[in-house]
Amino acid sequence: MTPASSPRVALFVTCLVDLIRPRIGFAALRALEAAGCEVVAPEGQTCCGQPALNSGDRDSAVALAKSTIAALEGHDHVVVPSGSCAATIREHYPELLADDPDWRERAVGLAERTWEVLAYLDEVRGWRPDTVCAATAVYHDSCSGLRELGIKTQPRRLLAGVDGLALVPLAGEETCCGFGGTFCVKYPAISNAIVEEKADAIEASGAELLLAGDLGCLMNMAGKLHRRGSKVRAFHAVELLAGMGDGSAIGEEG
Amino acid sequence: MNAREAILGRLRGGADPATLDVEATRLLDRPERPVVDVADLVGGFLAQLAQARLGATFERIGAMADLPGAAQRYLAAQGLASALYLPPDPNLAALDWSGLAISHDCAPDQPAALAIARVGVAETGSLVLETAPQAPMLPNFLCLHHIVLLRAEAIVPHLEDAVLSGSQPRAHYWITGVSGTTDIEGQYVRGAHGPRFLHVVLVG
Amino acid sequence: MSFIDRAAAALADPVLKTAVERTAGTAEANRAVAVEAFPDFAAARARAAAIKDHVIANLGEYLERFEANAVAAGARVHWAGTADEACAIVVDICRAAGAKTVARSKSMLGEEIGLPHALAEAGIERIETDLAEHIIQLADEPPSHIVWPAMHKTRDQVSALFRRHHASPHEDESIAAMAESARRHLRERMLGADIGISGANFLVADTGAVCTVTNEGNAELSLVPPRVHIVTAGIEKLVPSMGHAVHMLRMLARSATGAALTQYTTFYSGPKRADDADGPEEMHIVLVDNGRTAMREEGLAEMLRCIRCGACMNHCVVFRQIGGHAYGGTYPGPMGAVLTPALSGLAANRDLPQACTLNGKCQEVCPVAIPLPTLLRGWRERSWREGLEPVTTRWGVRVWACLAKRPRLYRFATSAAILGMRLWGGGGWSRSLPLAGGWTRHRDMPAPEAASFMAQYARGRRR
Repeated sequence: MTPASSPRVALFVTCLVDLIRPRIGFAALRALEAAGCEVVAPEGQTCCGQPALNSGDRDSAVALAKSTIAALEGHDHVVVPSGSCAATIREHYPELLADDPDWRERAVGLAERTWEVLAYLDEVRGWRPDTVCAATAVYHDSCSGLRELGIKTQPRRLLAGVDGLALVPLAGEETCCGFGGTFCVKYPAISNAIVEEKADAIEASGAELLLAGDLGCLMNMAGKLHRRGSKVRAFHAVELLAGMGDGSAIGEEG
Repeated sequence: MNAREAILGRLRGGADPATLDVEATRLLDRPERPVVDVADLVGGFLAQLAQARLGATFERIGAMADLPGAAQRYLAAQGLASALYLPPDPNLAALDWSGLAISHDCAPDQPAALAIARVGVAETGSLVLETAPQAPMLPNFLCLHHIVLLRAEAIVPHLEDAVLSGSQPRAHYWITGVSGTTDIEGQYVRGAHGPRFLHVVLVG
Repeated sequence: MSFIDRAAAALADPVLKTAVERTAGTAEANRAVAVEAFPDFAAARARAAAIKDHVIANLGEYLERFEANAVAAGARVHWAGTADEACAIVVDICRAAGAKTVARSKSMLGEEIGLPHALAEAGIERIETDLAEHIIQLADEPPSHIVWPAMHKTRDQVSALFRRHHASPHEDESIAAMAESARRHLRERMLGADIGISGANFLVADTGAVCTVTNEGNAELSLVPPRVHIVTAGIEKLVPSMGHAVHMLRMLARSATGAALTQYTTFYSGPKRADDADGPEEMHIVLVDNGRTAMREEGLAEMLRCIRCGACMNHCVVFRQIGGHAYGGTYPGPMGAVLTPALSGLAANRDLPQACTLNGKCQEVCPVAIPLPTLLRGWRERSWREGLEPVTTRWGVRVWACLAKRPRLYRFATSAAILGMRLWGGGGWSRSLPLAGGWTRHRDMPAPEAASFMAQYARGRRR
């Protein structure tokens, strides 16, 4: 195989997946391999620095951008199972390091090679899943992926290939769930009011599953749904694409 | 240092005036705007006028001489007295207004007033009124029923075409529908301060 | 009261939520229809942004052109560096005219510079002519939205106010009857005012004209009879020509209400001509800086594109929950969160740029493509640099960053965290978690898997 047909992919799992739900990382790994990629998860990876960036701590954001660039360089592509972390690398690293002659080009280089996993599987690899999951589901468009990276049709095209899965409409599917990173713990009451409405819409859809492309948003919505006693189960979309939709959903033991 | 000098002092360093004008003109190259059928400006204008948001009515007449009759028909249809405020415009003075109680002083609660529009805009259904010795503006906002005369050939395709070049009147008013408000619970109410009804009499 | 307290009060008020939802929801739906019907709104938006950037980059030249043309049309142009200077100029004009009453058309700049207060101090009676401004004047409250200042009021609350203050109030409880009551009440008053005061939506450099837009026709009605017309306008309101004004008007109306054009779009060029049938004898234009030149110099030039349409707040998930008053300034929502720290200091308003999920919807709907999330991040950086963030936040982010820069230490810390979380909450959902009260007060927390991804990967797991 030529390198182009079998790209060497660095999987950047993100700090939240690493800490809370590694299954999403392994699902991404499995789907990427099924799509013909050679995948490694580079050892030096930790956090992309988004919490520092969004808190205004530019020095820390710059330091973490540099260490992340150093950890992820040297592969054909970097793939991330999160729209907001992928957007941090693609949209914000070049801006953070624009005035640093030693790092500017490295930042731009990494940004150009970095993809959110669903966009990558669909747009770059033209891959379609060969998996089964008999359920009705709604898809929530996470804000960073949607507005910074233009991820909208890719997950829907991919999920259409999951046998037995029926996507039903979600009112306000492009409306923010109220997570916002540290926003949800700095302004818990406002965040709660927003996610209550999101949970109302999810429950009103009648869907059994909630799918999205960002674990932060999923934890926010699933955590709210569970607190309300809802039966809706939540997965990262890539889990279904990798055939792991039969396992435990977010928050379920297993 | 006065405020003018202080403000302008902080704003120095733009393009030279000639470059500025070239850039400004380039910014208006082929502006995005609603498509208007230039072959049917009257039809386009009337379609806009009829939109629910504007909610205006119209009557088309053949000649200026029919204007008093059109005004009378409108007032009768609305169940209003045959009374009308007319601006001191020589084009109106020449017409036969017998059968209508005409006033040239507009009362604060004037039921109906007539005005003459310089142009109509097919893009939006807007009417352009301008201040002049023969065109007082206040009556147009005092009345409940606003009757506006517009010549069919004065309908232009787009808002840009309604712009007057050269020296400007004291004010020009682009009127698109009636006085409305959504200030209470977002619900649309007509006749907030000015006209509740707009009736266009199209001549020609 | 702090932002958090104001937000909490707003969240506890179901009536407010209903009121905000009705108006903002309608505006959102109407805008969507209008934008969809427009031939190429994305390109039109880029053009609108480019026009404003061109003006802001060449603002000095355009202000001078405007001034020369306005003066040629017979207007008097005044310049004010600060809010106080602007108010003093207006009050002086009122005094020179011997004015006892002014009829005022809604102007957010007027609110920004504190003109209502300055007029009251000077003993000049103020008649607010916009229906919403009339409502909040009766209620003695500040505006809660830049397009619908009384958005926070329900019909019942408006009804009670009108019954208390109008001589012949509405006979039934319909909104139409209430609007009619205000029409009766305001009509004679505004016709008898000594001076009319308006803001400006645009200042047209090549004609010297001031453009106002109103749906109610209140500016049009209240600016003809008085002897003097005073305009207060921010210096960023310039457009080069009428052609540019037309483009901006198309964007403004669609973004604000979904209309193709605001009902009454009026261009004023100077006072009454010698033989004109009516109109004011004097026209004064007060050009107000009040921090705008500083914004241009300090990385907020893009904010000066703003045409005050209100779309950003109508589409903001935070605004929709807490309404406008919680923001504590003249300008609420995303644009207010950028403007208020610039106008009245970051230290007193440090919550505003933080109380945002950075979801980007505001930027998406902005007719002049202001990168609001980027500007809000800019304020966050400044807040961090100036030490305005709470110690807990500073330490939290620093410790996290410190660990994340050292992968081996980081692996150790994540393993410890996972162990801790699982010991505390078991394998499923936790209803409470130490140090995570902000989260678990309102939602459950999923337990982590037994080991981190990197730990499992290191042990050879691949699927």
